[in-house]
Amino acid sequence: MLRSWKDLDHFQEFIDSGGIVEPGDDMPDEYRSEVFRFIEFHANSELMGGLTERDWIPKTPGLRLKQIFLAKTQDEIGHAHLLYMVAADMGVKSRNQMIEELFAGKSRFHNVFHYQAVTWADQVAIAFLVDAAAFASQRAVFAQCTYGPYKRVLKRIVAEEGFHLRHGEDMLMSLAEGSPIQHQMFQEALERWWWPAVQLFGPDSDPADPLLKWKIKSERNEVLRMAYIQKFVPLLQGYGFKIPDDELRYDEASKKWLTSEIDWEPLKATMRNGGPDSRRRIANASANWSETRWVRDALDAAADNQSKNAAADGLARSAGTAA
Amino acid sequence: MTSELSPAAADYLLAFADDEHMIGARHTAWIGMGPFLEEDLAFCSIAQDELGHAVALYEFLTDDVDRFALLRKPQEYRSCAFAELECGDWVDALVRHWLYDRAEQLRWEALSGSANQSISEVAVRAEREESFHRAHAESFMSRISASNDTSSISKLSEAIVRLLPVAQGIWQPSDREEEAIREGFATASSASMAQSWNSMIQEDLLRWGLDIDVSSSTGALGSRTERSQGFERLLASLQEVINIDPATAW
Repeated sequence: MLRSWKDLDHFQEFIDSGGIVEPGDDMPDEYRSEVFRFIEFHANSELMGGLTERDWIPKTPGLRLKQIFLAKTQDEIGHAHLLYMVAADMGVKSRNQMIEELFAGKSRFHNVFHYQAVTWADQVAIAFLVDAAAFASQRAVFAQCTYGPYKRVLKRIVAEEGFHLRHGEDMLMSLAEGSPIQHQMFQEALERWWWPAVQLFGPDSDPADPLLKWKIKSERNEVLRMAYIQKFVPLLQGYGFKIPDDELRYDEASKKWLTSEIDWEPLKATMRNGGPDSRRRIANASANWSETRWVRDALDAAADNQSKNAAADGLARSAGTAA
Repeated sequence: MTSELSPAAADYLLAFADDEHMIGARHTAWIGMGPFLEEDLAFCSIAQDELGHAVALYEFLTDDVDRFALLRKPQEYRSCAFAELECGDWVDALVRHWLYDRAEQLRWEALSGSANQSISEVAVRAEREESFHRAHAESFMSRISASNDTSSISKLSEAIVRLLPVAQGIWQPSDREEEAIREGFATASSASMAQSWNSMIQEDLLRWGLDIDVSSSTGALGSRTERSQGFERLLASLQEVINIDPATAW
């Protein structure tokens, strides 16, 4: 069903009355472009997140645990796969174009995946702290999301991320309640990952953010960030960890945990692909993409040959029938 | 779950379990390194299955799978060099996956007829999963072969010729294989399975139009009591985290 709107005001009325946009609709260019950009960013982040975690999978200290981390990475890459298809259907860029731009360092992805996991505890910090931050933002998008295909894919992603989070908390508990060495490992990882996780939500939302207006985002960045801090400060402290923020305090008046002023420079650097590990991450992915080009080309050639053979068979059969 | 196994049966299973563990461990290196996303997903799934098979087999041998799987000395492992091999190129990983999974088919079939009901049940279940692995390998090998692209076909053929001799090492029997067969635990010797395997892969190659004579590929079987070059590095990597605090649960 092709639906169209006379102007942006009518489109806004449709959105405000709970309307859901579908790919066949004649959606406003501004909406198409903003929603595409958002989904592409999400897809890139799922893929680069999966690649971050892969580094530690071979060293996982247990076989069943290794299967679990493999399944988790499979989920993350699977999410990227689904999201790239949703984004490609919007007709702005093909999936290949998005991936090639990502590996050429021309696209953006979440700040947290511009850092290297330097110990096993970092892998746990990603599974717990980072996934929880990403889960909170995804859930907030799913809550109202007005783009139908994205909302449907998010339903699955949010459900799977819920499992990841429970697994992340199990992993955290095993280090928190384990030996002093394990406890110290996570403390050190927390010092590396706390601020990137908090920064993941982004600076305070611009009141004119079109993604809020069009109900792709259901909540402002600062609200989600504050909720995350309220949940994770007491939780981490309860496990005996120290949050790496000397000015962190509990404000009795507002009954809230307040952090020191957030330095947004590290986030901005990652958005320019200038984070601590951005160059290595992108270069590795790009090198692999180039090295395996011949496989993609060979499979395309095989598919072309199959089509030609099928067409030739069809012609031969027609000729046979005619004769 | 450990069950009462004769020493010969335990020895037989250890070789297979270590092969499954090492191939699963090696497969994990290829996640995120495939030619496209669907392939990364497939390798994730295959690696999980192989590790799951290793766990299922180790459970016959120990009550503490993780410590047994990860914390033995190098000389206590019984995997073959082919499973331990580090593949430097994705096409090698693909070819190994095809050759290994063809052999795995025969090895599970041999155990599905075991007089030991528990191992027979594991074998039937594992072989069902393996049929998907073979379909995956077949889809790539056949399509690359059908590309009519000389350079791609050469890459694939060279990898096959390079890996076939090492792959023969899968058929190095465990020390007490004959005894395990006499006991009815296993139903086929490595030598007879090697023959069937050679025929199977030759048929695959013919079907794909690849002109490679399997019978001309002779490789030393190697020994399951000697570790291949690179194994110690692999094991050190597998043990890196657990060795930080080996007395603790992770």
